[in-house]
Amino acid sequence: MEYIKKDLGSYKLHMIKTKKFKTIRVKVSFRRPIVKNEITMRNILSDMLVQTTNKYKTKRDLAIKAQDLYAASISSGNTRIGNYINTDIILAVLNDKYTEDGNFSNAIDFLHEVIYDPNIENEGFSEEQLNIIKTRTKTSLESLKEDSSFYSLIRLLEIMDKDSPMSYRMVGYQEDLDQINSKNLYQYYLDILKKDLMEIFIIGDIDFTETEELIRSKFAVKTFKKSRKKYYLDEVKPRKRKQVVIESDANSQSKLAIGARLTGLTMYERNYPLTLYNIILGGGEDSKLFRNVREKKSLCYYINSVPQKLDNILIIRAGIDKKNIKKTVSLIDKEINLIKKGKITEDDLNMAKEFFVTAMDSLLESQLSILDHYYMMEVLNTDDIGTRLRKMNEVKLSEVVKVAKKIKIDTVYCLEGVNNERD
Amino acid sequence: MKEIKLKDLDQNCYTQTLKNGLNIILIPYTDKKNYFITYATRYGSDINAFVPVGGKKGITVPNGIAHFLEHKMFEQEDGVDPFSFFAESGTGANASTSNTSTQYICYGTKEFDKNLEYLLKYVNEPYFTDENVEKEKGIIKEEIKMYNDIPESVLENKLKENLYHIDPHRIDIAGSCSDIDKITKEDLYTCYNTFYNPKNMFIIIAGNFDKEQAIKIIKNSLDTKENRIDRITIKEYKEPKSIYKKEEEISTNIKVPKIALGYKFAKEDLKINDELELDLYLSILSTILFGSASLFRENVRKKNLMTNFYFEWDNIQKYKSLLIYSETENPEILIEEVQKELDHIEIDEKDFERIKKVWIANEVKMIDYVETTVNNIYDDMIRYHKVIDNKVDLIRKLDIKKLRDLISRMKFNNRAKVILLPKKIIAKKK
Repeated sequence: MEYIKKDLGSYKLHMIKTKKFKTIRVKVSFRRPIVKNEITMRNILSDMLVQTTNKYKTKRDLAIKAQDLYAASISSGNTRIGNYINTDIILAVLNDKYTEDGNFSNAIDFLHEVIYDPNIENEGFSEEQLNIIKTRTKTSLESLKEDSSFYSLIRLLEIMDKDSPMSYRMVGYQEDLDQINSKNLYQYYLDILKKDLMEIFIIGDIDFTETEELIRSKFAVKTFKKSRKKYYLDEVKPRKRKQVVIESDANSQSKLAIGARLTGLTMYERNYPLTLYNIILGGGEDSKLFRNVREKKSLCYYINSVPQKLDNILIIRAGIDKKNIKKTVSLIDKEINLIKKGKITEDDLNMAKEFFVTAMDSLLESQLSILDHYYMMEVLNTDDIGTRLRKMNEVKLSEVVKVAKKIKIDTVYCLEGVNNERD
Repeated sequence: MKEIKLKDLDQNCYTQTLKNGLNIILIPYTDKKNYFITYATRYGSDINAFVPVGGKKGITVPNGIAHFLEHKMFEQEDGVDPFSFFAESGTGANASTSNTSTQYICYGTKEFDKNLEYLLKYVNEPYFTDENVEKEKGIIKEEIKMYNDIPESVLENKLKENLYHIDPHRIDIAGSCSDIDKITKEDLYTCYNTFYNPKNMFIIIAGNFDKEQAIKIIKNSLDTKENRIDRITIKEYKEPKSIYKKEEEISTNIKVPKIALGYKFAKEDLKINDELELDLYLSILSTILFGSASLFRENVRKKNLMTNFYFEWDNIQKYKSLLIYSETENPEILIEEVQKELDHIEIDEKDFERIKKVWIANEVKMIDYVETTVNNIYDDMIRYHKVIDNKVDLIRKLDIKKLRDLISRMKFNNRAKVILLPKKIIAKKK
């Protein structure tokens, strides 16, 4: 696998050459500091772009075009990267070797059309299309609670810190949706093209020179952009005494979500010992939480932990019976405290390292993960894969324990199921 | 070892059958670091009545037992948890139960030999005790409750329950909480001893490994394993052609109504005898009618009639059912649109040819990933009992005349309809 980065002024072009895949993926990313009431607008926009264009006025026309390019696909999505909001528009298309000459170049034209030639009428996005997307978004916002596991996570973060970007609902907000019209959406679109930081990534069995030329000629963007806002959220001290909030809903299972704060972590600790700590606690296939809360005590079907290192928090989630809330929380507490006290072994550490190595190796088998990895290198200055493997392998047990001491539970949230069992 | 070229896909596949009947399928890749292994049995939740090994009379076992058995296979007499074993080399492991099969998988990049050997070992060594069976009930009940909280899952279960009268396919794979309470250690051994025999099982491996070495390990572990039952007699349910319950409305904890439609067809009436060929024609039909580039989708989208839409074909022994799911504010209007579409089917040759092109491209795309490759071959082994090495060619040869003939034999009036509606009462606040 070879990687080349070119600064083309308005954007950086990242090219990764690998013979492993018959597909070529092109990802165009736009990002800017996140503003809460722009999230819904941005979701609508990225959805609109991949539904119709100036040339393909109906979703069906656009779908047929994609199919004609030998089942090419274009998708879009928004994510938060710490203090930033990011939009990806991704094209996946078979290499010309498996289709016909010129198919890739045509697919790039198609991608360009989707981004730069949208379905505009009278200085605004197509009203008809906008209504369709708004209705759909409204429905999904209304049905948010149906995914009770996801909803419990949203509630946990809001209860921990409702003003922090970490608790912003990336699905958007009803009140913002109501404000969106075809005109202000178009203005926002123009603003993104003008101000957002932009990257283009290409991965596949490509020729560097040809591909660069192709992209240069098709994506002749001429704006100069800059942003100084940092990606990591500011640290927040955990509450002295953890808060416990229980809400109820008509589900049969209760969803437990626990938020812990990370304070005083160095960049090294965040990227290395913390990763291993989490694999040992609840991230790995055979974590302490899985083994002791699920397998030994039969309290749940799923239980896991995830660090959000840009937000300085760690989240633990489980689906349990409501009568077991206290018991489960105290078992989780116990596992966290045991690691703090240094009750982990070299075996635990080695297992976590193996887990990480496999995750890295597997990363190289997925185009999207490779692109993500290079994107994080670009924005967060993270190490390359070789360095990550080497440094991770050198992490000492004492370093993991030191990180464990910087983790403290802040909020325990439970969305309690009050539905009586059917049988 | 037999070499099979997966035509048009630049990939080879090797197969071998051991003396005891176990089928082995190997797909070595030269450019990958990872591997994916599945060890599977043709035993899923649709089998609940059969003649057990060594027995003469048929028995009926509690629902949900295939899935329960899958969970319990992770219990080992030496106390070592298979998850822990695989985790030592950073290898992932899992298992899953479907209506027709159960599989045990592991995937990783290291210690291929050791992991393959262990996967075979632990699936071959059941260890059920009264105590460990009781303990599992708590975990499985939480799993059942998790799915009961997902409206889509409730809808799907209800649709199948209403489509079929007596076929066990109408019962959820995991069973219900009260089914789970009935399961005993003895039931588990009976099912294990009957269905976990070499002739009823197969192994598929794709990715980075040496094929000779893989065969050697498999032979070492399983060559001498006795096949204790040659043909398993499974109860055949005389499922009637009619629909069990044509209409049902359920009010539940949702905001926007959801609908499910099921159209049931007896295979004998469709008159395409080759199962794979029939599946391809049915599937191209539903894709042309309801896929992302269909006129139907554009039409209901313009009318703002639905917020999501999904369809698939459901299989039981003598039937094929088209299942359609959607979320809509106007259930009755949308259902009418679907029915109108199905009552007046017209197939445009351009659409037909385009979908073929898309499918061929998708076959090429899928071979890029070891997991999807294994999953595809797995499905073929379960459905068609062999590796399909010429799928691209079969797609190319699909004939519009034959599709039109098939359509002329299909009547879309044998239908089950389920609607989930928002509940009016709000859950009590604490």
